[in-house]
Amino acid sequence: MIQHPTTERPGGQAPPPTDVDSAATELSWLRRLVMSPSLALSVVIALFVLFGLTQTDQFANPQAWVNIVRVAIFIAIAASFTTIVLVSGGLDLSVGSVLVAGAMTAAALAEAGLPPLVAFTCGTLLGAGVGLVNGLLITYFSIPAIIVTLGSLFAVRSAVVAATQGNPIGPLPADFQAIGQGVVLGIPVPILIALVVVIIAHVLLSQSTYGWSVRAIGGNREAARNAGINVRRVSISVYVLSGASAAFTGALLAARLGSGSPTLGQGFELQVIAAAIIGGTSIAGSIGTVPGAVLGALLLSVLSNGLVLLKVDPTWQDFITGVVLVAAAGLDMFRRRQMFRMSAKRASRADRTA
Amino acid sequence: MVTASRAANPAGTTPPPGLQIVDGWKSFGHVAALRGATLTAHAGEVLAIVGDNGAGKSTLLKVLAGVHTLDTGAFTVGDRHVEKGDPRAMRDLGVATVFQDLAIVETLDIAANMFVGQPITTFGVFANRRAMLGEAAASLRQLGVRIPSVRVAAGELSGGQRQGVAIARAVRQNTPIILMDEPTAALGVRETAQVGRIIRDLREQGRTVIIVCHDLEFIFEVADRIQVLRLGRTQGVRRVAETSRSEIVALITGAQGADDAGEVVA
Repeated sequence: MIQHPTTERPGGQAPPPTDVDSAATELSWLRRLVMSPSLALSVVIALFVLFGLTQTDQFANPQAWVNIVRVAIFIAIAASFTTIVLVSGGLDLSVGSVLVAGAMTAAALAEAGLPPLVAFTCGTLLGAGVGLVNGLLITYFSIPAIIVTLGSLFAVRSAVVAATQGNPIGPLPADFQAIGQGVVLGIPVPILIALVVVIIAHVLLSQSTYGWSVRAIGGNREAARNAGINVRRVSISVYVLSGASAAFTGALLAARLGSGSPTLGQGFELQVIAAAIIGGTSIAGSIGTVPGAVLGALLLSVLSNGLVLLKVDPTWQDFITGVVLVAAAGLDMFRRRQMFRMSAKRASRADRTA
Repeated sequence: MVTASRAANPAGTTPPPGLQIVDGWKSFGHVAALRGATLTAHAGEVLAIVGDNGAGKSTLLKVLAGVHTLDTGAFTVGDRHVEKGDPRAMRDLGVATVFQDLAIVETLDIAANMFVGQPITTFGVFANRRAMLGEAAASLRQLGVRIPSVRVAAGELSGGQRQGVAIARAVRQNTPIILMDEPTAALGVRETAQVGRIIRDLREQGRTVIIVCHDLEFIFEVADRIQVLRLGRTQGVRRVAETSRSEIVALITGAQGADDAGEVVA
């Protein structure tokens, strides 16, 4: 064994004060790129766009970008709250069905002549209600989240189709459509709304005490409980938020399209989860950011629109999405490993320098 | 029977019990972990709980910490009765706990770990990261816990450093009673001495420390009294100054029979 360079002080003398300061650990540029999913993702998006610009000037067309962002925001709103669910160590597969439930509820109420605000609120509350049921079943009956939310994915969609007899609702009143199609200060209203919602989600997860509780629960449930966090209440609340955000997304989508259709949002839950994971959220919980999820949503949108602009056979689009998704998850595993290997090095260095 | 601790306070100035369990029973399914256990911890002393594997040490400590609720039995902190186990309620009663290995959230950094469940807040809802980073660094430095930075994820720490962070978290809460489950498990010689120093400092501040520990050598160095558990019951309580290692071992193994009534009268 290697001789330990530390000289043992006899007599139990106090060790000299060591550096426990909040100084950020210094990382090289390349390592920071690998360790920060948002940064890596921004670079990937930028490279793809640069490549696109060399192929077709369609990439420089502002209208193309409005379309890209329009698609991205719907994924981004739901993905922000899916991120919170994933960070808490949960999973919500019901997003697509809750979206259509929110869309149809809001559309039906708007068509019945209620003000848009009421329609939006009722649709969102319905989603929150589905989320509450999900959360209660998961926490109080200990049924795995993947099962409960898969169940509501089926059940809610079926209920929506039954209630509407499969018929779309529309065209919707102009004041309701204005929320999805209006323009303020040259920016489409849905983009402004999405910006507000995403910022709220980001502040909630990264700045609030609630967000830190969510992260603690996702990292170590037992420790969180022992530390006095009300684990059940927080666990339920993430599903309520997820349901509300999905339904709100649905209402916004109905306003954007000018009608509600029971086929809206099929497969949407997978896009949303993909956006979160591409954005660096760990399926194992505790790690993930809202800006990452937004960038993930943007990447999905840039890819699907960009590949069309590049005239790639559309049947290959999902293939590329799949590759990106798996690469992102692989990068997450690599990151975790790196983190812990650096740790071992740093710990031994601290021992030696002390 | 005159108990050892009363003998040590001939003037009858025994301080009021900080924490007491009388005839505590706790079962998990068919397994009875506690079968009428008693425990009294006085204010300002270091009480060590020892016993063989399965004697009920950890269960007893988790009852004290509010993780488990007694099936039957009386549990009081000061003059307050504890009805139901709740870690938060116990903290409000002045009990902080260092759990053996459940304490750390590996993905959170050290500062966040120090404040899990009780963050410093701004406007009541926002986590005040800057204050938490500062205070975490200050309390770790005060205790001489050596870590690279409070921004490092707790999962990156060695076993000794984790233990240091867990102890610092409990100490920082400034509660009159601190529970420690195996505080020296997996620690090297120097870290063990450091934990011993921290425990003695806490006692000098007048705090009550209850430790569950296997290491008899360590216990004889830091504890005032030793409570021996055997098969979920209190086998005996001895003052460290008035007992020997062989007597404690005899109590642990059952070679020496249980004292009636134990220390409860104190």
